[in-house]
Amino acid sequence: MYLLLAQITQDDLQREALRLQHDYQFLTYGLIAAWVILAVYVMTMIGRQKKLKREIESLRVMVDEKQASGSTR
Amino acid sequence: MRDNIVYGLGIAAAAVLAWNTYAIAGLPDEVNQGAVFKIIFFHVPMWAAAGVAVSVALIASALFLITRNFAFDAAAVASTEVGVCFLSAGLATGSIWGRQIWGIWWTWDARLTSALLCWILYAGYLMLRRAVEEPTQRATFAAIFNIFAFLDVPIVFFSIKWWRTQHPQPVFWGNGSFPKDWTQHFLYNMAAMVALGVVMTVLRFRQEEVQREIDAVRRTVHAF
Repeated sequence: MYLLLAQITQDDLQREALRLQHDYQFLTYGLIAAWVILAVYVMTMIGRQKKLKREIESLRVMVDEKQASGSTR
Repeated sequence: MRDNIVYGLGIAAAAVLAWNTYAIAGLPDEVNQGAVFKIIFFHVPMWAAAGVAVSVALIASALFLITRNFAFDAAAVASTEVGVCFLSAGLATGSIWGRQIWGIWWTWDARLTSALLCWILYAGYLMLRRAVEEPTQRATFAAIFNIFAFLDVPIVFFSIKWWRTQHPQPVFWGNGSFPKDWTQHFLYNMAAMVALGVVMTVLRFRQEEVQREIDAVRRTVHAF
């Protein structure tokens, strides 16, 4: 056991530290990518909801105008 | 579905995912793959949610063709859109995992190629809907295309069994094993991701229904 440990060089330790760092780096990238994609879709849905509200409002104005022009005839 | 139930389910799913992300971070690293292995806790549930979404889209499309009820068309487009969102996230997380474990972002093996084809088909479905103006024609073409697109889903699912792929064999129905507490976290994520998909589909379905009613009222107003 001690013999094996004695064979570990500074380079080995550095390589292992770098590998661990890369592992966490890519895990973070993965999680960020997943949440960003979901968040973008939720934002798109919120935007679509706002657009629908605007459309309902313009439709209400349109119906009111039609009713007003119909009653004056 | 009532608003309280939908938003409650959404909040519960988000809370479970947030808590589980914290819990998964505390789990020990996998022996061979290290910390990056933990992507599987999100990658697989995202594919599962996508699978549920496109299956719902298939059923809704078939029901539209049978009944000609536009509510099924709205359900199909809502679930397909949510499915594409989860497919995108599944592809992205898989690619990032592959970069660290295989040393490459992408390879043209059966699983990855069929998965990309699946994404292209469903994205094509959404593009097709934008290309056709007339509502009945649009819904009919889209329903037929959606059923055709689903043919790729079993190929994606079974590709790792049918062909030798770079993609790993399944952990649960292959020869792999998962510690009990890891399985628990995995299943929590799976349930939460599917619940999130259900909430997004319901909300998107409502939007589609409202849009259809707006279009109908607008046509009526213009007719007078």
